[in-house]
Amino acid sequence: METKEWLKAALNDLSRARVDYADGRYLDRETESITVRNEQVAGLSRRGDCGFGIRVLYKGSWGFAASARLTEADVMETARRALEVAKASYLTQREPVKLDEWQPHRGSYRTRFEVDPFAVPLDRKLELLFTAVKILRQDKRIAVAEGEMNFCRTEKLFLSTEGAEITQSILESGAGTEATAIEDGDLQRRSYPDSLGGDVATRGYEFVESLELVENAERIREEALALLAAEPCPVGKRDLIIGSSQLGLQIHESCGHPTELDRALGTEISYAGGSFLTPDKLGNFRYGSKIVNIYGDATIPDSIGSFGYDDEGVPAQRFPIIEEGVFVGYLTSRETAPIVGKKSSGAMRAESWNHIPLIRMVNINLEPGEQDLSLEDLIADTKDGILVATNKSWSIDDLRLNFQFGCEIAWEIKHGKRVRMLKNPVYTGITPQFWNSCDAICGRSEWRIWGLPNCGKGEPPQTMHVAHGAAPARFRNIEVGVKK
Amino acid sequence: MMGEQQILGLLKRVVGRSPAERTELVYMGGRTDLTRYTKSAIHQNVSEENIRVYVRVAEGKRLGVVTVNKLGEEELLQAAAKALELARHQPENPYFEDFPQPASYQRTQTYFEATAEFTPAARAEAMKRIFAQAERLGFEVAGAFTSGEAEVAILNSNGVAAYQPLTQAGITIVPVSREGMSRSSSFSHDVREIDFERVAAKALERCALNKNQQEIALGQYDVILEPGCLAEVMQWLCFIAFGSNSFIQGTSFMAGKLGERSMGENITIYDSVHEPEAQGLPFDFQGFPKQRVTLIERGINRGVVFDSMSANQAKAQPTGHGLPPGMPYGAIPFNICLQPGDSSVEEMIASCPRGLLVSSFHYVNGFLDPKKALMTGMTRYGTFLVEGGKIKHAVKNLRWNESMLRALSNVQAISRKREVIGDEGASFAVMPAVYIKDFTFTGVQKEESGPAPR
Repeated sequence: METKEWLKAALNDLSRARVDYADGRYLDRETESITVRNEQVAGLSRRGDCGFGIRVLYKGSWGFAASARLTEADVMETARRALEVAKASYLTQREPVKLDEWQPHRGSYRTRFEVDPFAVPLDRKLELLFTAVKILRQDKRIAVAEGEMNFCRTEKLFLSTEGAEITQSILESGAGTEATAIEDGDLQRRSYPDSLGGDVATRGYEFVESLELVENAERIREEALALLAAEPCPVGKRDLIIGSSQLGLQIHESCGHPTELDRALGTEISYAGGSFLTPDKLGNFRYGSKIVNIYGDATIPDSIGSFGYDDEGVPAQRFPIIEEGVFVGYLTSRETAPIVGKKSSGAMRAESWNHIPLIRMVNINLEPGEQDLSLEDLIADTKDGILVATNKSWSIDDLRLNFQFGCEIAWEIKHGKRVRMLKNPVYTGITPQFWNSCDAICGRSEWRIWGLPNCGKGEPPQTMHVAHGAAPARFRNIEVGVKK
Repeated sequence: MMGEQQILGLLKRVVGRSPAERTELVYMGGRTDLTRYTKSAIHQNVSEENIRVYVRVAEGKRLGVVTVNKLGEEELLQAAAKALELARHQPENPYFEDFPQPASYQRTQTYFEATAEFTPAARAEAMKRIFAQAERLGFEVAGAFTSGEAEVAILNSNGVAAYQPLTQAGITIVPVSREGMSRSSSFSHDVREIDFERVAAKALERCALNKNQQEIALGQYDVILEPGCLAEVMQWLCFIAFGSNSFIQGTSFMAGKLGERSMGENITIYDSVHEPEAQGLPFDFQGFPKQRVTLIERGINRGVVFDSMSANQAKAQPTGHGLPPGMPYGAIPFNICLQPGDSSVEEMIASCPRGLLVSSFHYVNGFLDPKKALMTGMTRYGTFLVEGGKIKHAVKNLRWNESMLRALSNVQAISRKREVIGDEGASFAVMPAVYIKDFTFTGVQKEESGPAPR
């Protein structure tokens, strides 16, 4: 590949210019997005995106430049521009950046799949979506019925002045449906298998078929309609059981983001925010109850938070974040890990060729409970509580302490039984208080991983694909509803 | 930058050779430079050159879209052929009639060479001066400084040939003390319009006030919201209420209620690219001239924005708010403005018996109940208790839950002065400060940890 040779030559030039370090990333991505809404194709497009980025560390200061123009002259010019930018950064330097030591890797990584979604005829994909949407629409109160599919194939090359040479090929497939019911000024929505686009995995079209969108459409429609007639969720402190996908988002917002070490060190403070989990708390802060164990793991097969190597060439790893309720680990990079006396956890990821890598979540998972408790067992064990499922709204403060989540649906639990459906459930809390109130987590059989392809961070904004594994769990005495 | 002749020439050749019955090309390309800093030092510094071409073709009422970031004539023709293949496998779209016809566009001034030529070293030098200004007061500074240039061109087989160059510059300054933070920003197409020292001074002055934050009782307070707060809220309203899809589908509070009152008489919200404070693209991403659209007039629901297909569906006229091809969101306003009033933040504070001055909102979410425009969010970068017409002290950041229909029915005063709050590219909001009665606060940012481990 010519681009690889040009990038190698550019990195050689930078080495001769005595930079501390440089890396080059080439990326070629193809995506397909299909949205069917009511009786129409609301959106259908294929997109190609290809280019390269060069990152330079000069006298301890960073510079980065990227271009979509794939000629030898443009690669060389982009390397020169990256160095010029790094020299500008150096003008304000206070502390030089130092990277932790890594043996440069030479390797490749490829996700597995059975059916290439780009080879599946469009007619077949549309038929599946139209069939599901037709079932969702079978009531005039369903104002909007929607189904979508998204596919993404990424080919990546990573080279560094240290001698790393890594290729990765990652295929992702995702799909979901949604029904919006409107009656008398009330609007209720149900999504399947999750809100905001469904679920995504590093698999082929077989993953879309395994979701059974058509088989679940009638249930989703009926739940959306039933919500119109349901009572609003009461306000007050209640025991709360959180379904698996919503708990995934809870982990994302209240554990994943605050354990990104760049946030904790203040490099996102003017945009996404900081973190209450400052380095002085590492190893000595009780984040949650003793049954709370949260870990990062970029090696889980089929999950979109997995990869072979991060965008600094560091191999994918599994690492603890919360152990028996104690905060023990951050998501880190080669630059930040030494600051807390660690090696990089391999969490530096860039959305595409035109972005610098930032510390991003991988798969951030809550360990299932030791006993194989089912959701029904947990409900049976709850005297007076609320079960919530499927995210509808999300908001958390800039230090990741005060959060509020809304869910699509809830059920009131009385004496171990679901007694009625409730609409517009909202719950709120303070992160460490909330996780310390966790007194039961369902077992392995209820645990599943949820792809979340829309995690935002950084300037210019980067959208990252991450995932969260969780089983339903119970939290005691949580503020439910909005007090006026 | 390729220039008008070269881009339109290339697009014209591709449209002329396209295998499709009708073809539309949307070109976006340029360079974006961004310097980020924290603790008064640059920690990220990037320069990106990118292009994107949306190729949309029509065969009868069937449409296909392929997007590429390559500019070769043959590569664009391959994209057109792929788009045609996609179109042939799709059902007819009953709302598609044709691509737009040629039109004239009201000129806007969006390109300034001084911005295009602003170098990474010039950004670093500007930052050094701001860092020194902050250091004199004992503060460190975080933030971002962006500058760049871009071109947008639209050409279709009906003869539309639109071109607009843009530059953008924007700075965000976040002074950080041991006790608190503040934020000030400025955006302009012309970097010379940004008074770095003044922006920094404003942020530093506010940061000095943001200390010893106290916890206050939750409940309803009169609030003075500075312009950035409303910009966040308006972005959500654009998405859940003022766009074509939410209107047609009935999820917007405006749906079926045009002509009815939803806000106070002093509220007029519109979308415009011809404001004294800011100008934008004079056409949308289909090549329709961008019209000024009144969304709320003196509190009354007046209309939403449309692209060609959503206009056909709603039996309305396109307003020039189409998004790039292939997106499933319909038309959305992206130059949202609130009509100014005759007050000022200082006058609002002086008139406030007891309330809160809010510098910024954070993490607003408008999906709680779109029919009521019910939203939640946090305050950030300085929240202050006002009593007896004076700022008394800083308070801890607060969570709020409020219907924006209720809040915008309770506006007591609006400032004369508005601020431009920039986004990427040609998107912006022009917002004043407002004084709102009885805004609902429901939670506080505080760290309450569990017992010490082990």
